[in-house]
Amino acid sequence: MTDVPFLKARSIGKQFGAVTALAGVDVDIRRGEVLALLGDNGAGKSTFVKVLAGAHRPTSGTLEIEGAPVELASPQDAAAAGIATIYQELALSENLSVAENVYLGRESVRRILGVPILKRAEMRRRVDELLAELDAHIPDPDLPVGGLSGGQRQAVAICRALNLDARLVIMDEPTAALAVAETRKVLSLVRNLAGRGCAVVLVSHNIADVFEVANRMVVFRRGAKIAERRRDETTPEEIVAFITGAHPSLRSLEHLG
Amino acid sequence: MLAKLAQRIGGRELTLLAAVVAAAVVFASLSPVFLHPNNVYAIIRNSTELMLIGLGLTFVLAIGGIDVSVGMILGIAAIAIGNLLLAGVDPWLAALAGPLVGLALGAFSGTVIVLGRIPAIVATIGLLGVYRTTIFALLGGSWLSGLPSSLSEIFAARIAGVIPTSYIVIVVAYAAAFVVLRRTPFGLHLLAVGNAEERARLSGVAVRKVRIAAYMVSGALCGIAATFYIANYRNVEMTVGSTVALDAIAAVVLGGTSILGGKASLLGTALGVLLIRMLQNGFTIVGLPSLWQPVVTGVLLLLALTLERAAVAGLFRRLGGLVAARRTA
Ligand SMILES: Nc1ncnc2c1ncn2[C@@H]1O[C@H](COP(=O)(O)OP(=O)(O)O)[C@@H](O)[C@H]1O
Ligand SMILES: [Mg+2]
Repeated sequence: MTDVPFLKARSIGKQFGAVTALAGVDVDIRRGEVLALLGDNGAGKSTFVKVLAGAHRPTSGTLEIEGAPVELASPQDAAAAGIATIYQELALSENLSVAENVYLGRESVRRILGVPILKRAEMRRRVDELLAELDAHIPDPDLPVGGLSGGQRQAVAICRALNLDARLVIMDEPTAALAVAETRKVLSLVRNLAGRGCAVVLVSHNIADVFEVANRMVVFRRGAKIAERRRDETTPEEIVAFITGAHPSLRSLEHLG
Repeated sequence: MLAKLAQRIGGRELTLLAAVVAAAVVFASLSPVFLHPNNVYAIIRNSTELMLIGLGLTFVLAIGGIDVSVGMILGIAAIAIGNLLLAGVDPWLAALAGPLVGLALGAFSGTVIVLGRIPAIVATIGLLGVYRTTIFALLGGSWLSGLPSSLSEIFAARIAGVIPTSYIVIVVAYAAAFVVLRRTPFGLHLLAVGNAEERARLSGVAVRKVRIAAYMVSGALCGIAATFYIANYRNVEMTVGSTVALDAIAAVVLGGTSILGGKASLLGTALGVLLIRMLQNGFTIVGLPSLWQPVVTGVLLLLALTLERAAVAGLFRRLGGLVAARRTA
């Protein structure tokens, strides 16, 4: 782990009209590390993740990537900065094939008379390789995503991230809809990604999953970051206490409102 | 082999083809006129504009949009071409004015819908009113008639006795549309946007550009249709294009393109157009007053929408099973 974090978020705030979804959030994200974001429903985890993904402009605050300030105005900007996001509501197009989904928005093309023509064979071959690498149990990259199981879709989304050569992979509740065996597979993949030197941000409700893969944990509550712990300095009980608001250190905070 | 071919072409398209053949058999048995080369030419010629406008609407429906003002775009472009011909402009240049005017109007409609964040159906009903009044104003209450036959000589000449030369352009347009839809990033983006805009956006698709571009494609094709309209009829009347939207939407939906977006069939559109024009022609020949034509089309549209509801219900089941029939063109 290097000293300069891959990404530094400082005082990030986000308003949706009168709703404060995020306020004053500082987070560092490091290469080779799995950072878990925890918090109750509506705590602001997805909103924070979407700020990093270029899907929401923060109302206040700054982002730095490798020490340089950046503005992530669009998902394209984030992708260009090496950030790949796997959304809770998996941003896949059911009517397109696995291979088309993996490449959507950054297709590989050859120009014929100036017209960009898809390199379908090449895209299919590359996706076949990635699927095999992940042991994803998707027999054919030409299958429409609409017919795949939750775990298979998760694998398609992960393929997308791998194919971006992402330096930061963000996963929002990747295991929420999965059966046990598929969950194991996705978690081993998360470790795998960090092992490759990727920074990984994992949003999860499942404390056991988080303690299995995360190096660090950040807890959100009502849009604010209320705790940050390394795995070796905390316990599931303490983290749960932060999430539910039962932690003694929070009492005074809650009263201050 | 045959089953594989059927799967590639798609069930809807084969059904339509069977319907076209069946309708031809029925009308031919009812009237000897129906299969006369002149009548076959008339059916095919009368399909000209709808072939192109339906093609454009296939792109618009693919993104989950709709445009009920297509007939008016055709009308305005036709008036532009007609006036240029009357002014003695070279017919090839005048012909070019059609797609240019159409492209501009399509860009305008698309911008209003997308940047104005107005549901396409509402926005294009509004634009329909605006464009129709524009047509009234441009025509000044009379017909544009007595146009020179120069475009007719180019585009309404017959190939093999029954096919107008305009079909060379139509075939090229369909081939180009196939390449765009199935072989370019833009085609993928259209289908992704039609499936779910927000997901497409999160995947890095420039959703607004794609949506506006779909209306531009449609506008340009309405403009080419206007060129052929002038070649075929050599006049523009006040009611120009008034039944075009109904016919075109019915043809496209009948062809298997989803009214909900995300699914497009070019072959289906062409067959849908042919079926509608054949039925209209056939019913007229057997003595149904032409007043009834919109009823025939309307019933077909409702039938197609009912079919689509059933299809949507079985969508995920079918998506899982069929690979090759995924997106037939
Ligand atoms: N697009 C949006 N428009 C308005 N409010 C939103 C939007 N997205 C999230 N919120 C609100 O912001 C808060 C944080 O939501 P979210 O980030 O989804 O929480 P989490 O992912 O932790 O459950 C909630 O109060 C939620 O209702
Ligand atoms: Mg969430």
